[in-house]
Amino acid sequence: MQKQNVKRFGRVLPWGVIAAIFLFWMVLPAGAAQIKELKIGIGVDADTLNPQEQTTTLFQNICDLIYDNMYYQDQDGNLHPRLLSSHDVSEDGLTWTLHLQKGVKFSDGTVFNADVVKLTWDRILNPDMRVPLRFAVSMVKEAVIIDDYTVQLNLAYPFAPLDATLSMSLVSAISPAALEKYGEDVRQHPVGPGPYVLSEWVKGDRIVLTRNEEYWGKTPTVDKLTFKVIPEATTREAMLRTGEIDICYKPLPSNVASLDKMDDITVEMPLSTRTIFMGLNTQKGVTTDKKVRQAFNYAVDKKAIVERILFNTAEPMDGPVSPKVFGYMKMDHQYDYDPDKASQLLKEAGFDFSKTISMRTPNGRYLFDKQVSEVVQAYLQAIGVKVELRTYDWPTYVAGLLKPIEESELEVFLLGWGPLFLDADMGLYGQFTTEVNPPKGLGSAFYSNPVYDDIMKASRKAQDPKERLALLKQASEMVWDDCPWIWLHVEKFVLAYSSKIKNLAVTPTEKFFPTYITME
Amino acid sequence: MIHFLMKRLLSIIPVLLGISLLLFFMLRMLPGDPAQVLAGQMASPEDVRIIRIQMGLDQPLYIQYGVFLKRLVHLDLGVSARTQNPVIQEIWARLPNTILLALCAITLACLFGIPAGVVAAIRPYSWIDYLVTLASLFGISMPVFWLGLMLMIVFSITLQWLPAGGIGTWKHLVLPSITLASFVVAFIARMTRSCMLEVLSQDYVTTARSKGLKEKVIIVKHALKNALIPIITVVGLQFGLLLGGAVLTETVFAWPGLGRLIVDSILARDYAMIQGSILIFGLLYTLVNLLVDMTYAFVDPRVRYD
Repeated sequence: MQKQNVKRFGRVLPWGVIAAIFLFWMVLPAGAAQIKELKIGIGVDADTLNPQEQTTTLFQNICDLIYDNMYYQDQDGNLHPRLLSSHDVSEDGLTWTLHLQKGVKFSDGTVFNADVVKLTWDRILNPDMRVPLRFAVSMVKEAVIIDDYTVQLNLAYPFAPLDATLSMSLVSAISPAALEKYGEDVRQHPVGPGPYVLSEWVKGDRIVLTRNEEYWGKTPTVDKLTFKVIPEATTREAMLRTGEIDICYKPLPSNVASLDKMDDITVEMPLSTRTIFMGLNTQKGVTTDKKVRQAFNYAVDKKAIVERILFNTAEPMDGPVSPKVFGYMKMDHQYDYDPDKASQLLKEAGFDFSKTISMRTPNGRYLFDKQVSEVVQAYLQAIGVKVELRTYDWPTYVAGLLKPIEESELEVFLLGWGPLFLDADMGLYGQFTTEVNPPKGLGSAFYSNPVYDDIMKASRKAQDPKERLALLKQASEMVWDDCPWIWLHVEKFVLAYSSKIKNLAVTPTEKFFPTYITME
Repeated sequence: MIHFLMKRLLSIIPVLLGISLLLFFMLRMLPGDPAQVLAGQMASPEDVRIIRIQMGLDQPLYIQYGVFLKRLVHLDLGVSARTQNPVIQEIWARLPNTILLALCAITLACLFGIPAGVVAAIRPYSWIDYLVTLASLFGISMPVFWLGLMLMIVFSITLQWLPAGGIGTWKHLVLPSITLASFVVAFIARMTRSCMLEVLSQDYVTTARSKGLKEKVIIVKHALKNALIPIITVVGLQFGLLLGGAVLTETVFAWPGLGRLIVDSILARDYAMIQGSILIFGLLYTLVNLLVDMTYAFVDPRVRYD
């Protein structure tokens, strides 16, 4: 009897297993299926994959996939624990205690602990190391190990948005074993604790990342990410249409509408942190008069620029920073297009219409930058202001922007400014405090207002978000009224991808994370 | 011949030195600070200063040039400021792609340009001559960028026969080669036509015809062979230009070649990379010229280099 049962069980078992597999397959959500490869078309090849050396958002994005972040800042500015589980701040704001995630390993097996974080900070703060974005953490004096999984940062001055700063790739850790093995050449051989590992880098052609099998977090849904270098945006779009790539990074704004109409392509364009503006020299020339600066703001139809030149891939500025950052406030008073008011203000200011103003613009640095400058020139000429427009390549342009006031020939100039994390500090402090006037910074409008400087310094000390918000509002209103810029627009980050892709995380800092996408 | 070859090879040294000297000082005359470009627009002046020192840009120009020459003697082209990789390594990763594309394009151009020129010359002022002239005019005047995009729309997006960009298989080569060849084929066809017309009016061709030789033999053996020297010169020059002038084609078809590397390096003021790439181009160009001169001797037995 028992033998018979065993025999029957033996006959039924294979069918049972098949039925169980089938049922499991049926109930398994479509998204959980592993995606073999995702091809992403990008415009340029990376120079370095050392997170401390990188200044380009796209490659910081790739670094994030390899190294992970200390904190992850989502599209709404909320911070999520990653390699840091939490932090504490002392009352005076000068001591930050970082609690590290336990059980994390680099893809080469090295353990992630306080020694690694200390080494990372020592490298960042070492003036002999090439760390272009060091200014963003210049308030940190030193890192001290408390225990295996706790590190203390001692600050030279309080800096309330340091937690958001910790979401930058700048502070990501490189495997000490890789540093020992490759030295500074680690920039070509990145090893991190992130969800992906660099498996191939064919110069000028592609960067291939494969899933890190040792990843401490949730297993990524995509096995392989191939970043294909396709410099021409039109070619990227063509390759997206033919299915040769799955994601097209920054397609041409003029083609966004036609891409959006296609059923098999999704276009996503969240507002970015980057503001585009016409800087007005507040210390030299005709734009030293506040009324002239305000008149220029009324003279330009920003809505028309956004609609007709930028194909709605931007939004007119309605405050001095992007609506995406903490500290943004929509200003009560708006400089809506009003050429009559502009003429009236110029008259009140006793503006000399016989003078020709020099306007400068880069070409190809920002979306349709030269065309935008040409339109602004036309608007100013429409109210009788003579404007001469000069175009420069980027290195020449920056050299001109960085000259001190005595040597500066700047009058009106186009520039973009994109904070690297979602906080107004990098915009309001990084552009309008006296401290950042050239040659020390790129606050090339030479805006200098001691009251404003004090408010911004106080905002850095304020640990209470409400108090900080009030101070940032005060600063915003002050600078908005003073008009050191013609407030133009906030760019959108445009990403076009196959409609099969779902749950692609896209952030206002112009990053995207395909780690946990699903495919239909 | 060997003596000539040695002499020509040695003459490359002063040519490259001249290029390096001009290039070095012209680059330094360009406005813009490479350290600032590298550091990004948000970097502090102190960090930019440190990067400038690390790049050796704080030294006087004659010392910088001396260091550059000293390295050059050891065949070291320096380190790219942008990638921190040896320049030679960066060039080596892209040079085979550039040569492959240029070779395919020049082969295509010769395969179509020479026969088209010959046919046009045999029947001057006939409809076929006008057709070749029109096609040549079209090829010369058509912007490479536009042609590339048109080919892509037809063959990649509409017909889906060929990939729109990238490298990997022979299919990836087709569209960039045709685009690049379109300009050169027109030149070669025009040059072949005029050289053939000149040769066909020579007495020895009339003699050959009166001897009763077949027209095919007269065209191929007597006329074309004698018309080849200027055609080879044009092919050589065009090949040299293709090596350095394929930037637009490389950009449109995402072809990872040297042209794009140079443009990116100029935009980033990556001095070492620009110098290294241009020197390599200079070297390739002079070598192609030497090869052209050597070919003369094979085509025309009257040319001797002893």
